[in-house]
Amino acid sequence: MFRFSKTILVLALFSASTATVAVDNYKGIGRQATPAEVKAWDIDVRPDFKGLPKGSGSVDRGQELFEEKCASCHGTFGESNEVFTPLVGGTTKDDMKTGRVKGLSSGELPQRTTFTKVATISTVFDYIQRAMPWTAPKSLKPDEVYAILAYMLNLSEMVPADFVLSDKNIADVQKMLPNRLGMTTDHGMWPGASAAKGGIGNGGKPDTSNKACMKNCKSEVQIGSTLPDYARTAHGELYDQNRSFGPVRGTRTLGAAAAAPAAAAVSPAMELATKNGCMACHGVNNKIVGPGYNEVQARYKDQPDAEVRLVAKVKAGGQGVWGSVPMPPNAHLKDEDIKTLVQWIMSGAK
Amino acid sequence: MAANPMKIRASNKDGVTEVKVLISHEMETGQRKDASGAIVPAWFITELTAKHNDRLVLGAEFGTAVSKNPYLAFRFKGGAKGDKIVVSWKDSKGETRTDEAAIA
Repeated sequence: MFRFSKTILVLALFSASTATVAVDNYKGIGRQATPAEVKAWDIDVRPDFKGLPKGSGSVDRGQELFEEKCASCHGTFGESNEVFTPLVGGTTKDDMKTGRVKGLSSGELPQRTTFTKVATISTVFDYIQRAMPWTAPKSLKPDEVYAILAYMLNLSEMVPADFVLSDKNIADVQKMLPNRLGMTTDHGMWPGASAAKGGIGNGGKPDTSNKACMKNCKSEVQIGSTLPDYARTAHGELYDQNRSFGPVRGTRTLGAAAAAPAAAAVSPAMELATKNGCMACHGVNNKIVGPGYNEVQARYKDQPDAEVRLVAKVKAGGQGVWGSVPMPPNAHLKDEDIKTLVQWIMSGAK
Repeated sequence: MAANPMKIRASNKDGVTEVKVLISHEMETGQRKDASGAIVPAWFITELTAKHNDRLVLGAEFGTAVSKNPYLAFRFKGGAKGDKIVVSWKDSKGETRTDEAAIA
């Protein structure tokens, strides 16, 4: 324990003196975060509204912003179930009084929505500010987040059309939230200390218990069933059937790659596409929300003016060619970047 | 007038007006049973009209195949900023509701 507390002391001394000196145990590795960096990262808004930026926004302004930035995926009224689950709906005036959404327990809701589930309005604010719009997260100013949130509150019939949401009255909105009493913390998934030790959860105690084996124990775990080789290809290429993002990927079951997954070098154009959020909606070989690049290439490959037209489409956004889900405009991308991306797609997105 | 107001947005672009309507209605088919086994009586919108000023631009007959709280979007030619869009429906109980919005 002595060494540990010494390290803390050293840390405290260093952070007091200068920001760029690394801890002596790890010479030359890393540096202290600058106050400006910490400030830029520290954007969370907590249920007690700690971290909430000052500002305000009206329902009307929120409607304009929502139409412009959000409606393409969430629908004009936040009702769309096409790309994501709906934002609003399923809540009643009674729920606002009781603080529990009745439809959740009675089972009469055909579809859960954000506002039937969320228990703290700060979470919605934090999420919009942090992660929306999908193609340009953290691009909204606090006033814009307030406006969009005000519009969503109006859509869910919590506030009138002339309402202006601000850091002053957001606490009053919390008191009306339909599912504000719907959150439980007395379970093992809730992080932090138990209630007895100053936290609000149960300290991570699991719902079930497993006794440690003390005698006649198995010395080795044997896996009882495996997928036989001839069955691995029964459903085609599993890799293509799983999401191309997130922690879980399908395994390669067909072709040469099934034997040894190649560590392909990522092309600069692929990096560009990933950085600008293209890969969120488009897969290289598969449709996600929008068409896969292979589909785009197949459709346009015989058209001589395809490149010019596609560049214009990427820039202005579009709808209708590949179904009703629209592509948002990408005016913030540089023209040459769009051109690089389009050429990359037309050459097979390798 | 019955039920919650409809939400209506209308916007004009290049001479084409796009109207989006979110209607608040139970739309019971009459085929569902409640917890005690009794049939929930049918209650759904039968007729819907949309007018641009006084011109009828959409007339529709709805039935039980339409979902609860239906969403409707349509486009028509003509219409200018500030013009009035009036949407009204009538349901199988004879109740009606009319709401309006201006084209933006």
